[in-house]
Amino acid sequence: MAESGDRAREEFLSEAQEIVEGLGRDLLALDEGLRASRLDPSLINDVFRAVHTLKGLAGLFGATRMASLSHELEELLDKLRLGKVDLTAGVLDLLFRSVQLYGLILQAEKEGRDQVIPEVDELVRELNRNGGAGVAAAAAAPSRYELDPSLLAVLTEYEEHRLRANIAQGLRLYRLRVQFQLATIDQALDELKAMAKPHGEIITYLPTGAGADADSIELDILMASAVGTEDLRHALASGGVDLEEIPRRAGSSGSSGNTGPSSVRIPQHTPLPASGLGVPSLAPPSRHDEVSHGPKGDLGTLRSVAQTVRVDIHKLDRLMNIVGELSIVRTSMARLVERLRAERIERDLAADVHRLQRTFERHLGAMQQGILEVRMVPLGQVFDKLARVVRQISREADKLVNLVITGAETEVDKLIVEELSDPLMHMMRNAIDHGIETRGEREAVGKPALGTIALNAFQKGNHVVIEIEDDGRGIDTSRLLEASVRRGVISADDARSISRAEILNLIFIPGVSTKSEVSETSGRGVGMDVVKTNIGKLGGVIDVQSEQGIGTKMTVTLPITLAIISALVVLVEDRLFAVPLANVQEAVVLDPAAVRVIDGREVVTLRGSTLQLCRLARLFELETQAKQPTTNGWPSSSGAGAPGSASSDSRPAARPASTRQYVVVTAVGARRLGLVVGTLVGEQDVVIKALGPSLKGVRGFAGASELGDQRIALVIDAPSLVDELHAPGGERVRPMIASRGSHG
Amino acid sequence: MANLARRGSSPAGLRRARPADRGPRTEYLAFVLAGDVYAAPVSFVREILKPPPLTPVPRAPHAIMGIVSVRGQLVTVVDLRRRLRLAEPTPTRRARILLADASGGETLGLFVDEVLQVYRLSESEKEPAAAALGGDVAPYIEGIARPSVGSGLAAGGRRSVEGRTDDESHISVVILLDLRAVLGFS
Repeated sequence: MAESGDRAREEFLSEAQEIVEGLGRDLLALDEGLRASRLDPSLINDVFRAVHTLKGLAGLFGATRMASLSHELEELLDKLRLGKVDLTAGVLDLLFRSVQLYGLILQAEKEGRDQVIPEVDELVRELNRNGGAGVAAAAAAPSRYELDPSLLAVLTEYEEHRLRANIAQGLRLYRLRVQFQLATIDQALDELKAMAKPHGEIITYLPTGAGADADSIELDILMASAVGTEDLRHALASGGVDLEEIPRRAGSSGSSGNTGPSSVRIPQHTPLPASGLGVPSLAPPSRHDEVSHGPKGDLGTLRSVAQTVRVDIHKLDRLMNIVGELSIVRTSMARLVERLRAERIERDLAADVHRLQRTFERHLGAMQQGILEVRMVPLGQVFDKLARVVRQISREADKLVNLVITGAETEVDKLIVEELSDPLMHMMRNAIDHGIETRGEREAVGKPALGTIALNAFQKGNHVVIEIEDDGRGIDTSRLLEASVRRGVISADDARSISRAEILNLIFIPGVSTKSEVSETSGRGVGMDVVKTNIGKLGGVIDVQSEQGIGTKMTVTLPITLAIISALVVLVEDRLFAVPLANVQEAVVLDPAAVRVIDGREVVTLRGSTLQLCRLARLFELETQAKQPTTNGWPSSSGAGAPGSASSDSRPAARPASTRQYVVVTAVGARRLGLVVGTLVGEQDVVIKALGPSLKGVRGFAGASELGDQRIALVIDAPSLVDELHAPGGERVRPMIASRGSHG
Repeated sequence: MANLARRGSSPAGLRRARPADRGPRTEYLAFVLAGDVYAAPVSFVREILKPPPLTPVPRAPHAIMGIVSVRGQLVTVVDLRRRLRLAEPTPTRRARILLADASGGETLGLFVDEVLQVYRLSESEKEPAAAALGGDVAPYIEGIARPSVGSGLAAGGRRSVEGRTDDESHISVVILLDLRAVLGFS
């Protein structure tokens, strides 16, 4: 019983989460509308409905904090809806804060924490205070139109408000008389609404009481529009509408109606030229129009709920694990089939099995692809949050910032998206706090007062790239270098020979910050080490480019999924290792004669540039083991004798040093490192599993992977190796890898 | 992979055990490390495995032998001999890995030279660790036991310990390991 309760609670939490996310999106649209001075009233309605739903959910699950917040919000939104309160930036601030607090509350509910969240109480109080403020000026009276008093009498409060608001804008009022079949009235009405929407707003509709027959009904529709009678008639021609303008009473002029609240206006749509052939000229819905409302809207939601299934991500993980196990079976089976075919007996049977194996492989591939697709979610989920943060921070910092988002539809593994929001948030905060200058500074250097932050996402092969680019002041490299030397991050000697790219990378080292730029919140550089670590945990890398006075660009490159990766399997002294292909540029034969030693480091020249080498056998101290067989190998009878087995069997064969070796060129961001390995085994899709907590402190491995036959390959963590061997002034791991890297 | 706890309570086991005193008894699994007999509470041991192929992890802490795959799960294997600073004889066919739940929910494999049998020990059969067992492994030793005849539940029927100096089939002294201390490492 407790379990089903838990599940219901899970459902509640995830549903509430979804609604809150939608709420955030609607608020952003409202904010945009407010700034462009064209507000879509249906958006306010959507926000109201979302909060109302949240209130209901909260009540159902006894989430009292959420219920009381929702209640106050609902009051405010109702007043907004009815025009009793103007939608101002201040009011929007309150609404945005509520989205944030919903997040806090949901988190607390999830963790079962019951204590009071002071911010929530504070907001509830503020909402209470705000209730009376900002009452809209009385809108123009509808009495200036020749409206049927019986119609006016049945208007709801909201409809009356919309009528007043429309009149205040000096729009024309129309009465549409339409016949509907009772059987299809819902659908037909929605079609008509959709048709009318680009041209104005339908305020209300009432049955006239008349009808051609028992199966039909006649409606009077009151509509406000800026469009002239003839144009509107054309636009609605296919709806079978009998249209007539409601004349103004003599003596009242349209312009005088324009005294209403200027902050609340309906989107002005230019009427489309109507086609003379009676073909419906449906305007393409504008961005805001995609939000449906009315009975059809509710129907639409119901339907979409029926078609989607919410799935716990862990269940997908389990499925993915099974697919991983199946791939191992597939590999073993393929080997078996090969053996069978090589035996040259039972050829027909072998051929049949081979065919079956191929089919199995194909379906397994499709299944893997399918599960991966299910895990994918658009980055827009995070970007919406970022947009809210940008709005909030830029208001706090009193800077004008325009956030330009592209590629929000780019899809990434759900787990990655979850982990991305904090690092991106931090980078965004940095960009506004320290990248974008104050209005005055910008104008002084001839930049537009409105700063721009571009948030771009796009897919690049098996990776997703996210860029955050500001047109702010850029990073002061000399100051950064100075601070790094002062804090002992690098030596004064190193500082003299350091490259520009390396200086910029210093921002990722803990504790480095250009002191003079530190604000109350953070200095650029503070926390960037955490950002880098978090991105690194996702298998991603972060690069920084910056031009002083022009701006800074942070580039985050992430794998699309963590679940299954393609890897290059290599042998180093009889041990198997897997290098994620994402990090591999190429693999070449090592020419021992070409290896030079510069500054204590082994390097080769590859395609015109210097490549630092890292002999894995030496780094992992495998050489000595090969020369003097260890005493703790497994007995040979334990079945670990497969060729190339990862086990350290006690075979005394030290390989002759002359054996050909390969260089696997790994690239992490702009930095490269040549891993010297023994043999290239091949490419394989592998499921990475994390090493246990007792191996947490071991650097250089991202996990391990089973390759079949119970053989395990350690997965090389290329970013950490590159860091380790390139670290400016960092610890030298082995005497041979002396001193910091100086190329990038 | 037998569930040891269940085996201990089987009727056959009960029949064998006819202890003189009726005090509470704890079941211990006895195993060999570097020629000596050690024992740890059975409740800690989830499973006994024949060692699957082992993958050493470079740069891992000294006592960690490597990782193995147990039905698709990665398990880190600790060499109990190395942890207790004992000699490390070449493993034989009798080497086993004990799966145990370590601190933090991790499953660890404990490498032993040989698994012997299960003892049901009463408190009177246990003695606190002698001062002679001091040194840096002292925290891992709970005490020693001199199991009386009849407190042993055969595990595999093999009673003699290969390579032991005394040739007795009955083991007179068992070193009791405090697995809690052994498993709760950094």
